Amino acid sequence: MDDNTGPSRRPTLGDRRKERIDALATAGTVVDEPGKSLLRSAWERLRRDPVFLVGAAITLVFVVLAIISPWIAPWDVTANPLIDKVRPQSNPVPGPEPGHLLGADDRGRDLFSRLLVGSRQTLVVGVFATLLGLLGGITLGALAGAIGGFVDTVVMRIVDVMLSFPALLLAFTIASLAREPSQWTLIIAIATTQVPIFARLLRGSMLAQRSSDHVLAARSLGVRPRAIVFRHMLPNAMGPVIVQATLSLATAIIEAAALSFLGLGNPDQRQPEWGQMLGLAQRYISEAPHLAFYPAGCIIVVALGFTLMGESLREALDPKSRR
Amino acid sequence: MTQTSDAPDVLVEVTDLEVYFPIKSGIIFDRTVGHVRAVDGVDLSIRRGETYGLVGESGCGKSTLGKAILNLEPPTAGSVVFDGTDIASLKGEDLRHARKRFQMVFQDPMSSLDPRQTVESLLLEGLRAHGLDTDTDATRARLRELMSDVGLPVAALSKYPHEFSGGQRQRIGIARALSVGPDLIVADEPVSALDVSIQAQVINLLQDLQDKLGLTYLVVAHDLAVVRHISDRIGVMYLGALVEESGGAELYDVPLHPYTRALMSAVPVPDPQVEDTREQILLTGDLPSPANPPSGCRFHTRCPWKQETLCDTERPQLRVVEVSGASDSHRVACHFAEKIASGEIQRHEVEATITTPGFGGPDAGPTAPPEAYIGV
Amino acid sequence: MTQATQHSSRPGAGSSEPLLSVRDLRVTFQRQGEEEFHAVDGVSFDVRPGQTVGLVGESGCGKSVTSLAIMGLLPGRGNRVSGSAIFDGEDLLTLSPSAMRDRRGSEIAMIFQDPLSSLNPVISIGRQVTEVMERHQGLSRKQATPKAADLLERVGIPDPKARLLNYPHQLSGGMRQRALIAMALACNPRLLIADEPTTALDVTIQAQILALLKELVVDTGTALVMITHDLGVVAGLCDEVNVLYGGKVVERGGRHGLFRDPRHPYTVGLLNSIPRLDAARGDKLSPVPGSVADNLPWTAACAFAPRCSNAIDPCTAETPQWEGDQVVGFRCFNPMGGTR
Ligand SMILES: Nc1ncnc2c1ncn2[C@@H]1O[C@H](COP(=O)(O)OP(=O)(O)OP(=O)(O)O)[C@@H](O)[C@H]1O
Ligand SMILES: Nc1ncnc2c1ncn2[C@@H]1O[C@H](COP(=O)(O)OP(=O)(O)OP(=O)(O)O)[C@@H](O)[C@H]1O
Ligand code: SF4
Ligand code: SF4
Ligand SMILES: [Mg+2]
Ligand SMILES: [Mg+2]
Repeated sequence: MDDNTGPSRRPTLGDRRKERIDALATAGTVVDEPGKSLLRSAWERLRRDPVFLVGAAITLVFVVLAIISPWIAPWDVTANPLIDKVRPQSNPVPGPEPGHLLGADDRGRDLFSRLLVGSRQTLVVGVFATLLGLLGGITLGALAGAIGGFVDTVVMRIVDVMLSFPALLLAFTIASLAREPSQWTLIIAIATTQVPIFARLLRGSMLAQRSSDHVLAARSLGVRPRAIVFRHMLPNAMGPVIVQATLSLATAIIEAAALSFLGLGNPDQRQPEWGQMLGLAQRYISEAPHLAFYPAGCIIVVALGFTLMGESLREALDPKSRR
Repeated sequence: MTQTSDAPDVLVEVTDLEVYFPIKSGIIFDRTVGHVRAVDGVDLSIRRGETYGLVGESGCGKSTLGKAILNLEPPTAGSVVFDGTDIASLKGEDLRHARKRFQMVFQDPMSSLDPRQTVESLLLEGLRAHGLDTDTDATRARLRELMSDVGLPVAALSKYPHEFSGGQRQRIGIARALSVGPDLIVADEPVSALDVSIQAQVINLLQDLQDKLGLTYLVVAHDLAVVRHISDRIGVMYLGALVEESGGAELYDVPLHPYTRALMSAVPVPDPQVEDTREQILLTGDLPSPANPPSGCRFHTRCPWKQETLCDTERPQLRVVEVSGASDSHRVACHFAEKIASGEIQRHEVEATITTPGFGGPDAGPTAPPEAYIGV
Repeated sequence: MTQATQHSSRPGAGSSEPLLSVRDLRVTFQRQGEEEFHAVDGVSFDVRPGQTVGLVGESGCGKSVTSLAIMGLLPGRGNRVSGSAIFDGEDLLTLSPSAMRDRRGSEIAMIFQDPLSSLNPVISIGRQVTEVMERHQGLSRKQATPKAADLLERVGIPDPKARLLNYPHQLSGGMRQRALIAMALACNPRLLIADEPTTALDVTIQAQILALLKELVVDTGTALVMITHDLGVVAGLCDEVNVLYGGKVVERGGRHGLFRDPRHPYTVGLLNSIPRLDAARGDKLSPVPGSVADNLPWTAACAFAPRCSNAIDPCTAETPQWEGDQVVGFRCFNPMGGTR
């Protein structure tokens, strides 16, 4: 009789990602203490969780700034008020001076304003990529979870194959297939990497719902299958998907920055974007490291904000990770 | 089907029912490597208006049998004839329409109610599914009636399940089952998640409803005392099959199967006098895995009366035995029931054996190592 | 007012000094934005060596919190503990965490309801048992291993040497609970607290575990605090019974006395609501009406009053006081029976 414990082979990247997704998928179905759904008690925990609060605060500041940035930015991002100070040989990047908090970039454009307005593109790419990924993932996941059988097998095989590629590599490949890079190729590329995650998650979550007692109860009552899927399974399966969406925003932002850095983003260099700014800063990395430091810092802080929020959500939902 | 003139009015006739769950394994393509024989050849009949109780240890297949009878878990083989139609072979819309006549009450009053629906919409759902909600006023009246039947205030209709206590939630579950006006209700551990004082309320409610509406019950429970209290007839299950079946009082007075005896002696009685004096038959070891049941009599690995012959080679069938005190509706699946009853065969020690390694407990099914500790 | 009945069998009364003496134990939870909540509200009881004391009551009455408070295992924040729990001359509630850790596992051990979550899933059973011995008795792993095998054998695990190598998920529920008991016994504790040790198990397995516990108490003289909601288990195992309701002990008595002549209406109600295997079918049960959600606060009433069939005027105006002593007694203005 086989008596060995522990995995017989080392888990691959795909395995680990799958496990993580599956753990989250089942979390939403667990009922915690009587009288409260898990989601509800998770929320009560979150309200007092400093990690969550910090993450939420960062996120909130970022979103608000991104929305109002065109109005509060001291300078027009395409104007180059400091162009006169730019000396390609001796002073390629003008430093801070009154009215220009962080100085200017190599074209004499106000760095602070560009950083501020750059948050918009980051947010747009992050949000749209995640929304698109969500849409694709939900469609596939719901199909697999609701129909099951052959559809399920086919969808899940494709999803698993996609999951076993590193996300950035996949996005890079897709983005570089486009004839000319634009913000939209970026969004589509990143969304594609999100689709399998959401699909597997929703499918797992739906399956967990399908075997739950209240769905069984609806079946035994003779409720029509379509009503069971739309009234009982989908709404209850969405909790983990929403948590994952928060986490995905963080990865989307980092991936967007990475792809822009590699020159696969918006070709219009006049519009600021953090990753693209980081890419341009490379040239002056020894003379003006601050040029790279600021956008990099922004990316890290914002991604951290979403990650902290998402991770604490996930933890609050996952009964195994607390006690 | 047997049809004798003085046959009792049978509502459900279960014949040779089997439910096997495939055990799958494989890295890319799942292969079936074995079966969990959750229900492995069950015959039973439930008469109209009676309460049939099904007892047994965790994992013996009680819930699966209950679900299979309602075709919520499609049977692998066998038939379930409900009032003349074979439910086991129904599919799709036919099955959905037929569900109006048989309903289920679940063990966990929290997880069996959709947390996102109000009580009203939970109750309306069944009415709607069977086209019973045509007239708004009549529907409202029906909802009120249901609430008063299960002893809840009408105001409860607009609340959500989590706003109720466990006992009240179980009442909602019962109201939902009643909403479509069924003949048969299968109650799977209807009180085991409830506190003692609340248990009694729900048991009484079930009995009152039966008297009022002429319901037929199949009550599945692991608590022999509860089953004895509410059942007219009791079936004792062990590892997927019935080992004994008889009227409630008779089962208690004349238990014939060694397993029934052990089960009966293990139930604690809230009376120190009884506890001090009664004889306990302690079983050794655990329930064997239903994926790999013992040969012959399923109970032979733990049976204190096991004999050298027959027990481990031939599977005993349910049969009526000639024992004083046992009526002819008392059936038992033991080769030596008569000799055990007469005392000709004596109890002996049993060496405990461990069950299959990897046995993950009754609800776990085939288990993998705990996933929580595989770091991500 | 009436004197508490002197039950004929006064369990262990005066037979020896109490090993554990809990006095006026109070545990108050304070959740943000919510009112203070007294989960345990002035509980007192004694446990003598070789004695089994039961704490019974319904879900949420404070049984587990009582035991966790005694063991110093309550989560650090959000609760207040007062009163005393004198074990062997020392107040466990005032011991430093490290001193308490030394007592736990060696002199006082605890068994929980869910054996799977109390065992570490990635460490073999054998290691978990030997670790306890290494820590508290200073044995080496080599010395501890054969002892661990003996322990597993003693708690009725077949083929103990092989089982030492197994992981918790490879054992059935009953076997896990046995392994947990073996761990608890590793250092011959003087006090064992068992919190619903059989609730997750089947009756036939429950009978095995209860028999094992009974045998241990008799063989080793260990004192046992048995927490359960099952009056049947109490009837078979406990010398003394404490019935809890809403965080207070509402009745206490010897095993025979309490069941023969229950005084508190809640005890009576509980006994009447249990279907009994040896009773005829058909008799209606008489359940206690309502649920714990109806409770009144103890501060100015009897918490049980809204559900009580015996309630009289003072019940909703004053807190009933304890009548009796550390061996028998009840907390009620209008008790049942009690003429004998
Ligand atoms: N969907 C399933 N897939 C695989 N195995 C299953 C499934 N459902 C049940 N089983 C297995 O079938 C056996 C019988 O399960 P069942 O739930 O019917 O037991 P039960 O008698 O109701 O136990 P309990 O008292 O714990 O509810 C168990 O071994 C269980 O692991
Ligand atoms: N950490 C905690 N924070 C807040 N309240 C708590 C905490 N632990 C327990 N409680 C509350 O204290 C009360 C008593 O809980 P306890 O766990 O002692 O009940 P119990 O008698 O053991 O019940 P059960 O039979 O369900 O185990 C309950 O109302 C519970 O909600
Ligand atoms: S057939 Fe044999 S093993 Fe089975 S119950 Fe009867 S005596 Fe025991
Ligand atoms: S004090 Fe009053 S309400 Fe409380 S139990 Fe006694 S009689 Fe009932
Ligand atoms: Mg079951
Ligand atoms: Mg408890």
